[in-house]
Amino acid sequence: MDQSLLVPLFWCLLACGAVGAVLLARQRHVTTRLRARNAEVEQALRIREEEVAHLASVRLRAMVDSVNGIGVDVPGLLHPRLQDTTFAQDLQVVLDLVADSEAKAVGRADEWVKTSLQSMARAVQSLAAEQQIAISAMQEQHDDPLVLEGLLRIDHANSQLGRRVQAVAVLCGAWPGTQRTAAELVDVVRGAVSRIRDYLRVEVRSRVDLAVVDTAVEPVVLAVAELLDNAARSSQSGTTVRVDVQGGHNGVSIVIDDAGVGMNSELIAKAHRLLSGTEPVDVRRLGNPPQTGFAVCGVLVAKYGFRVSVDTTSPYGGVRAVVFLPNELLTRVERPEPLRAQPRATPVAAPPVEDPALRPTTLNGLPVRRRQRPVQAGVGVAPRSRPAELQAAPPRSPEQTASGIGAWQQASVAGRVIDPHDERTSP
Amino acid sequence: MNPAPADGTRTDWNTGRALVRPHVVTGGRGTPSRNTLDHITLITAAREDLTDLGPEQCRLMRVCLGGWLSVAEVAANLRLPTSVTKVLLADLVDSGHITATAPAAPAGIPGEQLLKDVLDGLRALL
Repeated sequence: MDQSLLVPLFWCLLACGAVGAVLLARQRHVTTRLRARNAEVEQALRIREEEVAHLASVRLRAMVDSVNGIGVDVPGLLHPRLQDTTFAQDLQVVLDLVADSEAKAVGRADEWVKTSLQSMARAVQSLAAEQQIAISAMQEQHDDPLVLEGLLRIDHANSQLGRRVQAVAVLCGAWPGTQRTAAELVDVVRGAVSRIRDYLRVEVRSRVDLAVVDTAVEPVVLAVAELLDNAARSSQSGTTVRVDVQGGHNGVSIVIDDAGVGMNSELIAKAHRLLSGTEPVDVRRLGNPPQTGFAVCGVLVAKYGFRVSVDTTSPYGGVRAVVFLPNELLTRVERPEPLRAQPRATPVAAPPVEDPALRPTTLNGLPVRRRQRPVQAGVGVAPRSRPAELQAAPPRSPEQTASGIGAWQQASVAGRVIDPHDERTSP
Repeated sequence: MNPAPADGTRTDWNTGRALVRPHVVTGGRGTPSRNTLDHITLITAAREDLTDLGPEQCRLMRVCLGGWLSVAEVAANLRLPTSVTKVLLADLVDSGHITATAPAAPAGIPGEQLLKDVLDGLRALL
């Protein structure tokens, strides 16, 4: 081979080698960068996948629970470094949309539940009212003690049924359902006593002669009945539930004391929350069996403006519940004066029967009325048969009697002219 | 606080929906402690002391003070069923608050013929 060819070939090879080395170095650099980039992208993808999985499995569930009223905090992002990214904002949009639609669905479901419960409660309530009217009518008609005892038991059961269903209606946003006029406080409390199971254990004392205004009678009766029922249920069967109605400057307090187990601080806090009337009542979360007492009171408190508190201990160791009625809910009733017994002589038993022939009569043959001699009270008198002559007297014709009665009427009218000098006619 | 025209308990009684139910009034008892009381038995208050009496008993005693009324009249006054009133009255007779006596015997009541005459007369007048 020619020496002269070797040199350029060498240089060519050298140049090619140099170029190849440069290219190789560059390639390696690019590959390294791409690898790093690839790893970064892979990690970002993994983070986002994890974040989406976290959203689906944890955050959305927590959000749904939170909207449904279960006290759960909705957790944030799994990877905080995504905080300000568009990806995180998009996830938040998804979360908000789901929360919004869930809240709407819950609201609608709540509304449906309340509407159906309310209409069912209304139907039962009107049946209970009809039944009560029928029971009252039977109590009027039947004089047999055994029948009355049965009726009293039925009436008691009916009163409890009425209260239960009334409580459901109130929880569903209905009004208590019975229109009453103003009633005295003692009657309001005893009306509440009528509606609980252990009514015989309740002792009512009232030193107040005020009345509750018409619109508040039924709500107060229902609230007091629920508190009395709680008090009676949470205390032993041998103990007494005491109710004291006490007057004050700003209103009247109905104080209910039981000798039961009392409440711990957690229960008191829960009761306080329910009784404040500020929390909406969720009818789907009243427990099983449903604990309606405080929830019903809370609804009534919010609507009618009285107050209920259960945060003090009763002197008998149990709970002291206080219903405070402000002056706006109180009134005075003018009791219709009862028809009192007129002062009169001791009831007259049978007077000694005289010979009818000797009895003075009017022109028309009617016996003349005479003052009769009072007889000592309590003297039993044997019934006597009427004399044969009197029984056998021939009947008068209606015309004959009419003329007699006409004369009697004229005399009666004339006798009603008031003599101003007569003391008896002055009031 | 304006005076209200009427007492709700009484008004509602007419519709059969009295606020205080009879089982609370009698303490769940339907049988009077004595069966000597009739609709027309006359009663009067024997004592003026109203301590330890329930609201219905107090009303009953106030109605009966100063004269005689029949059981039916008392029941109408208290707006309670007669059978329930009898349970209350029997208790009050037992405790000495009330005196009861038999009503006037049939001989003191005008005869059937006289009543018929009056009825005929009234019909003729109308």
